[in-house]
Amino acid sequence: MDTPKKPAPIVNDWARPFWEAARDNRLILQQCVDCGKHIFYPRIACPHCFSDNVEWVPASGKGTVYSYTVVETNAPSAFMNDVPYVVAVVKLDEGVQMLSNIVGCDPAEVRCDMPVEVTFEKLDDEFTLPKFRPS
Amino acid sequence: MSKLRGKVAIVGIGEVPTGRFPEKAAIYHAMESAKLAIKDAGINKDHIDFVMPTAALYSPQFNTELVTCRVAEELGLKNAKTNCQIFAGGSSGSCFLKLGGSIIETGVADYVLCVHADRLGTGVTAQGGIDLFSTAGISAEWEVPFGQHYSTIAALTTTRYQYETGCTDEQMAAVCVSNRKWAELNPNARFRKPLTIEEVMESKMLSTPLRAKQSNMLFDGGSAFILTSAERARDITDRPVYLLGEGSRVTHFVFSQEPDITRFGWRDAAKDAFGEAGLTPKDIDVAEIYDSYPVYQVIGMEELGFCERGEAGELHMRGDTWPGGKLPTTTNGGMLSQGHTGAGGGVALLVEAARQLMGKAGERQVPGARFAVETGTGGTYMDAQVSILGTEIP
Repeated sequence: MDTPKKPAPIVNDWARPFWEAARDNRLILQQCVDCGKHIFYPRIACPHCFSDNVEWVPASGKGTVYSYTVVETNAPSAFMNDVPYVVAVVKLDEGVQMLSNIVGCDPAEVRCDMPVEVTFEKLDDEFTLPKFRPS
Repeated sequence: MSKLRGKVAIVGIGEVPTGRFPEKAAIYHAMESAKLAIKDAGINKDHIDFVMPTAALYSPQFNTELVTCRVAEELGLKNAKTNCQIFAGGSSGSCFLKLGGSIIETGVADYVLCVHADRLGTGVTAQGGIDLFSTAGISAEWEVPFGQHYSTIAALTTTRYQYETGCTDEQMAAVCVSNRKWAELNPNARFRKPLTIEEVMESKMLSTPLRAKQSNMLFDGGSAFILTSAERARDITDRPVYLLGEGSRVTHFVFSQEPDITRFGWRDAAKDAFGEAGLTPKDIDVAEIYDSYPVYQVIGMEELGFCERGEAGELHMRGDTWPGGKLPTTTNGGMLSQGHTGAGGGVALLVEAARQLMGKAGERQVPGARFAVETGTGGTYMDAQVSILGTEIP
């Protein structure tokens, strides 16, 4: 069976700066000017204090693995040729969580609370995905 | 806290077997389940004035038929005034209760027919099911591009839960064994052969540490129930199943945004539900806990207060949750053994709670069951819904 093309992110307008920065290998987050909290994923207003006064700031790109799994079988069609691959929830130092893949190591070495740092993997001309590797 | 305590009751239940039935149209599962529920209630079909289907996932065409009154027409419900779909994924059953209950209590309707049917066993291919559940309810911007699907979600929960609590792989496998023991006694269950911990541990690895026999499987099926006021219920039956309490919390849409993937919103939801009912977990005779994967049954039991955190695995190992045990749990075999029918997994658990309280559970009847708890959760465990039911109003 032909493997379908990898699904590209279906982008909401207000998140476009995130994906443009990722294409330049930069990880950025929203931060609320009023309450100071970092925000991920991008929102139209601060989900903490509901302020509209939200700006984009660079992220450290550092964090830890909150949880992970190694996909061995029964992957979605577009990911069949990638097994084994690691899906993880990463907790960034800024306090936000994001889903990504852990790359650049043996999948069997991934552990909860392991320190990781961002790295970028080009999907196509339009999209580059932020992924994480052991730091 | 709601004002439904003791005000509404389930008076009839219906269910068709769960499995693969290529010769049966999806609407059959809805109609047959509804017919059985109406006959079980012993009411005239034309007393039903509100038809409340939940959604089917396998086909937009069939789902549209549920939305556009096909059940009412097929059954010839002459006094149906409203047909309105209620859908919250796996918590649809719990939502049936609170929304159906609310319109009865406010006088909008007298008899509500809640019905589910889907055909995820024969209506989609195995890989089609995997692909459907790598997009349905999963963020197309933030998670789909990373290969997220429902197995990885369950695996992420299991990894962190085991890391924090020390729960072992064997204890997690014991949940599947426990639910299978109940399914052995359930003629409507898809999987009825005895299962061992070894068989679970030797089954194919899907996404570590989740194995094939720890994953629900998708099937065709349907179930239904009739809701009415407590007052009318007492005229119809000697054993109404009253709604005594309900509690719920919405915690996330995107799975990775859940602040605690080893707890979710169950504790607060349960506190509200037990508080409204005026009961504690010690009063519960039967627990129908949402079990799409074993870790969710374990977390549910702990967060509801049936045991300390980290202890639920052991409860399944030593038999407390089995037939004849101290805390009969997920007594239809759950999604792990009766089979997962989409939104119907949760509806079937609710129907099973009512069945146990009505004393109609046959070989798997929990003797003298008076109070039951049922849980449901939708999407990627986006909400925690807890309902408490009883044959008397304490």
